[in-house]
Amino acid sequence: MANALFRIISSELIATKGQQIRYGHRMRGKPPGVARSLEQRLEELRPYDPALNFKVDIGLPAVRRSRSEILAQQLERRKKIQSDPNLERLARHLQLRIDLDETQKIWQQTSAADDCRKIADHYGIFKDLYGDAYFTPRVPLNISYTINDDGDVSKVFRGNILKPLETSKSPQVAYESDPNTLWTLLLTCPDGNLVEENSEYCHWFIGNIPGSDVEKGELLMDYLKPIPLSGTGYHRYIFILYKQDKQLDFSAFKKEQPCLSLKERNWNTYNFYKDHQDVLTPAGLSFFQADWDPSVKDFFHETLGTKEPTFEYDFPPPYIAKQRWFPLRMPFNLYMDKYRDPKQIHKEYLLKKLKKAHPFKEPEAPLRYPNAQYIDRSVPSWLNLEIRKDRLGWGRINDV
Amino acid sequence: MNGITKTLGFVKSSLRASSRTIHGNAELIENCNAVKNRNPRNLELLRIARKPSGYHLDRQVREYWHTLKVTKAPRHVAAEIYHFENGPVITVSTKDWAIKKQLYRLSDTAAYINLGRVLAQRCLESGISMVSCHIEVTKGGKMEAFIKELENGGIELKEPTRYKKPNPWDQHRPEKPWDPTIE
Repeated sequence: MANALFRIISSELIATKGQQIRYGHRMRGKPPGVARSLEQRLEELRPYDPALNFKVDIGLPAVRRSRSEILAQQLERRKKIQSDPNLERLARHLQLRIDLDETQKIWQQTSAADDCRKIADHYGIFKDLYGDAYFTPRVPLNISYTINDDGDVSKVFRGNILKPLETSKSPQVAYESDPNTLWTLLLTCPDGNLVEENSEYCHWFIGNIPGSDVEKGELLMDYLKPIPLSGTGYHRYIFILYKQDKQLDFSAFKKEQPCLSLKERNWNTYNFYKDHQDVLTPAGLSFFQADWDPSVKDFFHETLGTKEPTFEYDFPPPYIAKQRWFPLRMPFNLYMDKYRDPKQIHKEYLLKKLKKAHPFKEPEAPLRYPNAQYIDRSVPSWLNLEIRKDRLGWGRINDV
Repeated sequence: MNGITKTLGFVKSSLRASSRTIHGNAELIENCNAVKNRNPRNLELLRIARKPSGYHLDRQVREYWHTLKVTKAPRHVAAEIYHFENGPVITVSTKDWAIKKQLYRLSDTAAYINLGRVLAQRCLESGISMVSCHIEVTKGGKMEAFIKELENGGIELKEPTRYKKPNPWDQHRPEKPWDPTIE
């Protein structure tokens, strides 16, 4: 009798304490459709103010061409194509392959400038070089590096990846221009400045180029090969062609050649453009990305004659909750380890490793069946686990 | 967040620069303990940038850096590379005169094939060689031909997974994608 009574009472208690009870369905917040989506809420976090966030166009204006004339020409061409039985047959048999060089050429004349501006904006080039200004590169640049004596070239487009070894010698730059005009060519790198993070390095500076004859221009800073520092990832190397309104005096920028001092190579496009904005107009843009390769190391050691700096990405430290006096249901060793000095833990593992290492003997062969090794029964369970983890190469032992 | 700290350096002396510049450069490198790479695409290339998360219950996939989107119109077709923050960054359409000039029809299979070739070329020229692709492909269709042509052009239609730095107490240490010693 007493037992049954106890059972009833205890089941009631459990029902209220341990079991989950539903008290009907209640919506938290506004219903979907009325409530803003995550996307909308994120959008609200970056407000756009037209009075503050507008950008200024500093480039050359677009050349206006009569649209009706172009359309008439295009229509004529389309009609010719549509009546071509050979082309129809090729298309039907899926053998029609358009000439990519021809496509590239026409694209250069039509929408390349806008597409190039879009991708340059994607790479943050205008933001890092000119702040709130941008330009549309109206003059297509053709830049190619000669890799070897066989005449193989690697070209610079709009952010393609090249290696510093390929780009160790100055490139050939070609563009179309009137021989009576004057131009300035600059190669800068806005990434990885060793002194100021908002500065650039000027890798090449030629002023007063008559027409497109780069060789005849005034060499102010000689070509310095890309030096993407080890561990810092991909740096952007940006060629910018400026159109000059008149002959300019760049003698203040002239450096002794070869200019190997990184300090003298320090550059700020924003300030440079600010001083010369009345006479210079950005007209052409082309850029590539480069990451570290062994030739950078050789360059630092042999040409610059210094140590090679090596870097590593600075990850945010992991979140560790505040230590509690009585951490219930926590494995004590793992919990305490979180709050110990990481260097001390590292040292312990290193000492353990060095203890096994013998200067003259071969290192011990890795265990064939690490989990089938005898562990003394008197070893407490937490230590047993730690030993197993070390044998399997799990956890902190990897940091040594 | 985007800062990078210095670890160690090596010396090997075979000097060619003048002593003053050597001294200047050595001092510069000695005093530098952090640099910043401002390239917004750098962390994506190094696989440590974050991808948008929190949309895994949606049918539309949003966990990508760059994705491929194709817009079909009755008389033409357009393809774009879409970035999760910057929107469409590369756009190619069979309506563009550069492509249209040589095509017979603007939305037949041959047009899709040629669109794929041009897009692959533009992507590689813009330094984008990996894009995610969430397009459903029917076998033997136009889209399959387009995607095949993109792959032939050297575009990988899968983005790498994000590298997350392991915590000290984690079981495994994944390989660092940017480690120059791996290559």
